[in-house]
Amino acid sequence: MQILDRVRKTEFLGREFLLWLWYKSEAEDGIFDLGDKGKAEVWLDGKITLQSENERGVETITCTGEALNMKEARFALAEEKEIRQATVKLGIGDNQWSFVLDSTWLNFRSFKTPMVVNDGKEDPDGVFYEKTFLIEEAIAAMDQIYSSFIGRRISPEWMTEERRAISRWIQEGATGGAAQPGSAEGET
Amino acid sequence: MHGSAGFTRYMAEKTLPHDFKEGLSETIARYAFRDLDEKSIDERSAGWVNIMDMFDNRFAGIEFLKEPYIAVSLRIDERRIPPTALKQYCREAEETIREEEHLEFLPKSRRADIKEGVRLRLLKRAIPVARTYDMIWNTVTGLVVFGCTGAKVCDEFISRFFHTFNLQLQPICPYTLAERYVAQEGNSLNLLDGLTPTRFLEDR
Repeated sequence: MQILDRVRKTEFLGREFLLWLWYKSEAEDGIFDLGDKGKAEVWLDGKITLQSENERGVETITCTGEALNMKEARFALAEEKEIRQATVKLGIGDNQWSFVLDSTWLNFRSFKTPMVVNDGKEDPDGVFYEKTFLIEEAIAAMDQIYSSFIGRRISPEWMTEERRAISRWIQEGATGGAAQPGSAEGET
Repeated sequence: MHGSAGFTRYMAEKTLPHDFKEGLSETIARYAFRDLDEKSIDERSAGWVNIMDMFDNRFAGIEFLKEPYIAVSLRIDERRIPPTALKQYCREAEETIREEEHLEFLPKSRRADIKEGVRLRLLKRAIPVARTYDMIWNTVTGLVVFGCTGAKVCDEFISRFFHTFNLQLQPICPYTLAERYVAQEGNSLNLLDGLTPTRFLEDR
């Protein structure tokens, strides 16, 4: 299968990943174990774009707001819209990154690293290495979190646990019910 | 490396020949950025420049080599004529010709010739707009980060990377990342290829 065919046939994986990420960050604690790299906290905060395709054509909705306040976006999920891109905040230790992840390629847009300490006047290469390290750290963390998602996605538990919990969370969003930490998981 | 930006990720071959870095300055310099000649009518020029200095395209040393990374920028200069300016100059040129040749109307083909002539004349006066896109290649892990998410520029980057380093880049997408994970875990790719979209709302 050619790369573009694969991208098209499996682009739902990116959309489901963003949904899973949102669910994990809102209904659970959004903490992911990175092994020897410690723990990462992920939450969606800022602009989120959702889209659906039906007989009326393509419908897109873009919402901006704080994670717990994105009621319109939650409602859109219940209307079978899927996430096309989302603003993600990633925290590891004292560092925090911000970027927009798109579902098709998992490209990083509007990528902001934590403040670089080196001012570059005396050691320009120092800035390069510091910035590159911060870029690679965020990429590695998100890849590891994506691997956790894939691990769940190909397991039997995806249908018996994760799908049910996410479905319930989506339906709570449609009725305006607040998701309590761990409440959805407790159902499974 | 500057400010907030977007980037696309690729994977390059991890196992490079032991002499890969020999003569790399000359190789990169061969595909380095060249200024658009002021007298030429070329609309576009693209090539590698120093990631720390977009005006440095010499690659005289090994400033691109920051072990274990190879870091350069792709610089693209383009001359563009504002559409309204082209329209205005075309109209003026057409009026002049109509008056000189005592014509009431100009045929379509003649107007196209006039437009092309005006466009070429204005191109020489247009100052190129320069953009740079950083590329950081970790030669140990094979990860290549390219500072752009636009398809056209990314395609040009893949092509230039191939011609320069003789290596094919594999774009990273949800499938390729999943494929990597499944292979690492020793599972069959059939697990992945058999997946279909989850219907989250079918219980309603």
